Amino acid sequence: MSDSPSDAELIARAREGDDRSFQTLVERYEGAVAATAIGMLGDGDDADDVGQETFIRFHRALASFRGESSLKTYLVHIAMNLSLNALRRRRRLLARFVSRDETGADAPAPAVGPEGEVDARELQAFVRAAVGRLNEKHRAVVVLRMFQECSTRETARILGVPEGTVLSRLSRAMKELEEHLAPYVRRGERMDLPERAL
Amino acid sequence: MSEHDSSPRGDPLESLLRDAAPAAFAPGFGERVRARVAAERAQALPHALEKHFLRIVPLAAAAALLLATYNWWGARGTTASALDAALNLPQVTIASAYSSSSLFGTAAGGTETP
Repeated sequence: MSDSPSDAELIARAREGDDRSFQTLVERYEGAVAATAIGMLGDGDDADDVGQETFIRFHRALASFRGESSLKTYLVHIAMNLSLNALRRRRRLLARFVSRDETGADAPAPAVGPEGEVDARELQAFVRAAVGRLNEKHRAVVVLRMFQECSTRETARILGVPEGTVLSRLSRAMKELEEHLAPYVRRGERMDLPERAL
Repeated sequence: MSEHDSSPRGDPLESLLRDAAPAAFAPGFGERVRARVAAERAQALPHALEKHFLRIVPLAAAAALLLATYNWWGARGTTASALDAALNLPQVTIASAYSSSSLFGTAAGGTETP
């Protein structure tokens, strides 16, 4: 049996002004929000701003949060909307100067050792860069379905599109990713990684 | 995210992607959020006052306009200017300005008893 308080208990305490409870919620869901924001925007200040803004908005909405959806879904939904807004802003501002989103920047392809081993961190960076090269609609689906492990229904709800659209976007995105990542996925099996990086 | 359905590709590519999911922001994220919450709280009172003030402004303006119209309407027969009438200012002439009653009040001439 776990001693850690439930989300509902922490939310109730945070509503009464208990900052520690709110901070515990931030720690608990930082990963989910980071996966969304960094997955969509790449690692950097934009993603960090989106992460902070997500929790600020949640803090403002504490009094009215009814818990109709899980807190994770709620936060991921906010983070995704803010990330899409940030991408649009970035595109408008930088359209003249850069030809594609920062997240599409190339990461060096990880070297494959004689035994087929690959540095885990390099591979993760390469995979994230490949996701960053997807267009933003496909990227959003991959971030929600693969990084967040949302169901198709949840993904559709968060993005405000039909489930069929989610499935077709996912299929196209996976096809594109397969092309980019083919050297690291062989004969239907993933290459062994020497270590699991954070 | 309790409900999870597998995608059409239950393959190593999926596991590669899942392992690449970012797990956290740069160190100190919690502190940054805490600082922003504190800053937001510090702004809360001025914002609330501003909100109330903006709500009161139209009412106050309407009341002032009503009062000015009432004053102006009551001073129609007099020679006071529209502004003086609206503000309900007493008519002042040089003679009245220098009169003892305006300088010392009605009980001028040291007749006031302590």
